[in-house]
Order: sequence, then structure tokens, then C-alpha cells
Amino acid sequence: MFKRPFSGPDIKRLILGMAYTTFNRNEFDTFAQPMFFGEHVNVARYDQQKHKIFESLIEKQLSFFWRPEEVDLTSDRKDFVDLPDHEKHIFISNFKYQTLLDSVQGRSPNVALLPVVSLPELETWIETWSFSETIHSRSYTHIVRNIVPNPAAIFDDITKNEYITRRAESVTKYYDSFIFLCNYYIQLGEGTHTVNGETIEVSLHELKRRMYVMMVSVNVLEAIRFYVSFACSFAFAERAKMEGNAKIIKMIARDEALHLTGTQHILQIMARGKDDPEFAIIAQECRQDVIDIFTEAAEQEKEWAAYLFKDGSMIGLNKDILCQYVEFITNQRIGALGFDPIFATKNNPLPWINAWLNSDNVQVAPQEAEISSYLVGAIDSEVDTNDFGDFDL
Amino acid sequence: MPSPRKAPRLGRRRWGKAKTFHSTAQTELDLPEGQGSSSQIELDLLLPPILVKRSADEPAPIQGELLLPEFQGETPEPTPQIEFEGMQKPIFDIILEDGRQARFQHAHTLLESLESQDIEVHYQCREGYCGSCRTQLLEGDVHYLEEPMAWIDDDEILPCCCIPKSALRIKLQ
Repeated sequence: MFKRPFSGPDIKRLILGMAYTTFNRNEFDTFAQPMFFGEHVNVARYDQQKHKIFESLIEKQLSFFWRPEEVDLTSDRKDFVDLPDHEKHIFISNFKYQTLLDSVQGRSPNVALLPVVSLPELETWIETWSFSETIHSRSYTHIVRNIVPNPAAIFDDITKNEYITRRAESVTKYYDSFIFLCNYYIQLGEGTHTVNGETIEVSLHELKRRMYVMMVSVNVLEAIRFYVSFACSFAFAERAKMEGNAKIIKMIARDEALHLTGTQHILQIMARGKDDPEFAIIAQECRQDVIDIFTEAAEQEKEWAAYLFKDGSMIGLNKDILCQYVEFITNQRIGALGFDPIFATKNNPLPWINAWLNSDNVQVAPQEAEISSYLVGAIDSEVDTNDFGDFDL
Repeated sequence: MPSPRKAPRLGRRRWGKAKTFHSTAQTELDLPEGQGSSSQIELDLLLPPILVKRSADEPAPIQGELLLPEFQGETPEPTPQIEFEGMQKPIFDIILEDGRQARFQHAHTLLESLESQDIEVHYQCREGYCGSCRTQLLEGDVHYLEEPMAWIDDDEILPCCCIPKSALRIKLQ
């Protein structure tokens, strides 16, 4: 006899564990749900929000919308041809690295987090976040088309070049390890399972631990790895070379700053056990892992700096300065998560980078020159009696 | 005939806005004579005095060029707020943990004030979403001009989008 697989929430759970459903028909209290591993989301509604920061992030990200084609790169082609060989190596390697990072970020948050997310505003933030990374990837194709006759040579090398692939492994291993276990969890639920003769142990605690560590590694990717590559791009522009490229990177940097804020919020909500006390315990357990991930990433970025400048430095940037910048930015970012600095470096060795990272002093398009976050119709016209509260005559 | 420049929105003017004046500075040079003198005065009143106007022979800013305004955050407003008797002016001392001192009086944000008094603060977005300027607040109280989006601890502030409500003691990162 034919049995309906979804004849009720209890049967569904019994038969299929926590099987993913695209529209959860259970009734539940949204405010009682944690960020992840609660009820699957159903109505994409934003009238009630548990963490309204994610809604703010979505709105900000949407106001940042830009397209790579807006940026004219004709002068970059000439600049690139004129660069000495060792600077071409720096530019192209840096470019490949950025392409790798955004390729990962354009899909991984969706693949890893969406199956277990439990809040609609967070779900939409993850989608908006990933989407903006795909714009970054598209902009790399736009850049490479404009500066070299054969883009395939550069893109093909990303999977072959040993320096790049070594970095790809460290960038993706935490994602992959979480996704591996999460797939079993979604299909089979918690417990010890035998799949194709292999024993798989699925526990929610281990899954949450992998998720926390993964979020930390995403934070490292967005907060340290990206910034090292930004420094290289801006160092060219500081000498009035490859300025179109720098302008695109400015847009990317603006988006990444927002994504970084997003991951920091997720990590802090987890660490404080605000909606899932188990994550607070895990955050305590993983304190050393966090320090290790940051330290390891900083070391890898330093190795990368050595590879970039192997044939010679460029004016304004060399291996030592970039390594100091890695240390500085690592201290800054781990500080934002409430940890002590790892390195002794206290001052920013590249003070000019602030001006480049600030997106407000670049012209986007003439009609948008006035303000970079071109928020259409966003006028705060609300006047409350409280606004005159401290006003005396 | 070029359209007359919009008056800057007072009170909400921010650091990044200044670039508009670079790109539109041409307008007033093109004004016909006779009209020029009266509207010139009017425009000068509206313009913050800190901006450097681009001369006619100077090339227009190219795409991607950094348009850093020569901004001095603590320059008094050309049209200051009307003073009321019995109402305190919002002037506050800021003491840094390392002994340096500053005074907030005219700037639009705490960050602008510190920068104009040669106190370097790390920054990126200058509107509260990146968290680069995160600073520890040891004493005092601040008011946020816009809600900060970056994650900050309870004892931390984002100088880029706040002004002091009292004398402050802060510790830079």
C-alpha cells in the first residue's frame, strides 16, 4: 500500500530524521528558534525578527548594489602592459587569489548554512551575502577580459598552480568538513549510522562545533585573507597604476566589510549563547581552535607574501611590510571577537590603505557621485515628540 | 546655464560628502557677471570653509582618483546653532588612556574631531557598519547619530557615528 511520506510532523521526524523540507508546515514560535538547527523556515516574512541586525545588513547590502561594467578599465590594459614582469606576477597572482576566495564565498554560505537555518531574516541575509560575492566573481572576469587577451590562461591556472591550490585547501576544509557531516544529519538525523559499510557518527554537538569553527574560518577569510589581497591591489593604485581595478576592489572591500560584520554578529550571538546555550559551551571549548585558525591563517598569508614578492618588490609594498600588515589586521580581527592580540605589531604599517578602503571617496557614476550607498527613496522623515525631549526654550 | 548648487544639508553633512564640491566647483565660475557677486556671497555662506575649490584650468578628477577633502573636522560652522541662555554648548573634553587630550566642539562625529586634533584612529566605512574604529569607552556617554551596525561590546563605541554626551575617557585599539 502506498504510504504518504509526509503525513504529519511526527511521522516525518520518525522516518526521515530532520529531513529538509522547503516549506515547513509545523506551527512554531519564531522567537523561540535559534539561528541554526531549529525548525526549518517556512514563510519568508520579515515583520517579526529575532535578530534585527540581519535585516539591517540585508538593507545595507542591497543599497550597495553595483555592477562591474560601471567601471571603465581601458587605462588598466595599458598600465598592465607597461608593468615590469615581477609586478605582473604580483598583480596576476593576487588576482587569482581573489578569484579563488570569491568563488568559494559565492556558493559555500548557501550550501553549508541554508539547510540548517531557522530564521527567515538570517536565511535571506545568507542569500544576499552569497549573491554579492557572485558579483565580485563576475567583476574578476570583467577585469581579466580587459587586461589580457586570453582570460582562460589565468583562470585555468587557479586549479593548477600549487601555491593557489594549497590556499584553496585551507580556505575550504572547514566548510567541507561541516557540509560532509551536515548532509548525513539532514538525511539520517543523530546517531550512529552505517552507510555503504562505513560507520558514521552524527552528533549535534559535533555538528555545532564544526559550524562554529567554520564560521571562524569564514571570518578569517573575510577579515584577513581578503584584506591582504586588497592591500596589493591598492598598492598599485597608490602609484596611479591599475586604477580601474582598484576601484572595483574598493566596491568589493565595502561589501566585504559588511559581510565581516555579519559573521562577527553570528559568532558573537553564538558565543553568548543568546539563542542556543550549547553554542556558548562550544565557543568556550573552541577558544584555542579560534586562536589556532587565526595564527595559521596569518602564517599562510605571510608565506603567500613571500611568494608574491619572490621576484622583487614593488614601490610602496614589499614582503616585510605586507607581513606586518597581516599581523596588524590579525590582531584587529581577533580583538573584535574578544580575544587578546596574537602579534606584537600595534600600528598599521600601511596607513594609506584606510583612505582606499573608505568607499565614500570614489566616484561611482556621475549621477551617483554624491553618495556611494545610493539609497533610492530612503528618507528618514519620521519626527517623534521624543526628538524634542531635551529641547528647552 | 548650469543649475545652482544644492545647499548642503546641515547637521547631516559627513566627511564623504565633500567630494561633491570638487566635481561641481566649476558651476560658480561659470556664473554670468552681475549675478555672480550676489549669489557668490550666498554660496560662500552655504559652503563649509574647509573645502578647496578646483580652479578652471585644473583637470577634472579622473575616475578612481582619491578625492580626499582637506577636511578639518573642528572648524566652526559658518552658520552656527543659535545660542540659548541657560543651554549648555556641547563642548566636551576627551581624554585618551595614553594621556593625549582633545576637545569635541564643532565636529560632526567623534572620529572627525579626533582626526582633526591629530589623533589617528583606524577607520574604513565611517558610517558604522565595518567596526574598524571600535574604541573602548572608559568613562562618559555618547549619542549615536545613526545606529551602529558593526558588532561592539557593551563598553565599546564607534567614534565614526557618535558624538559625546559628556566628557569622555577612551582607549583606542
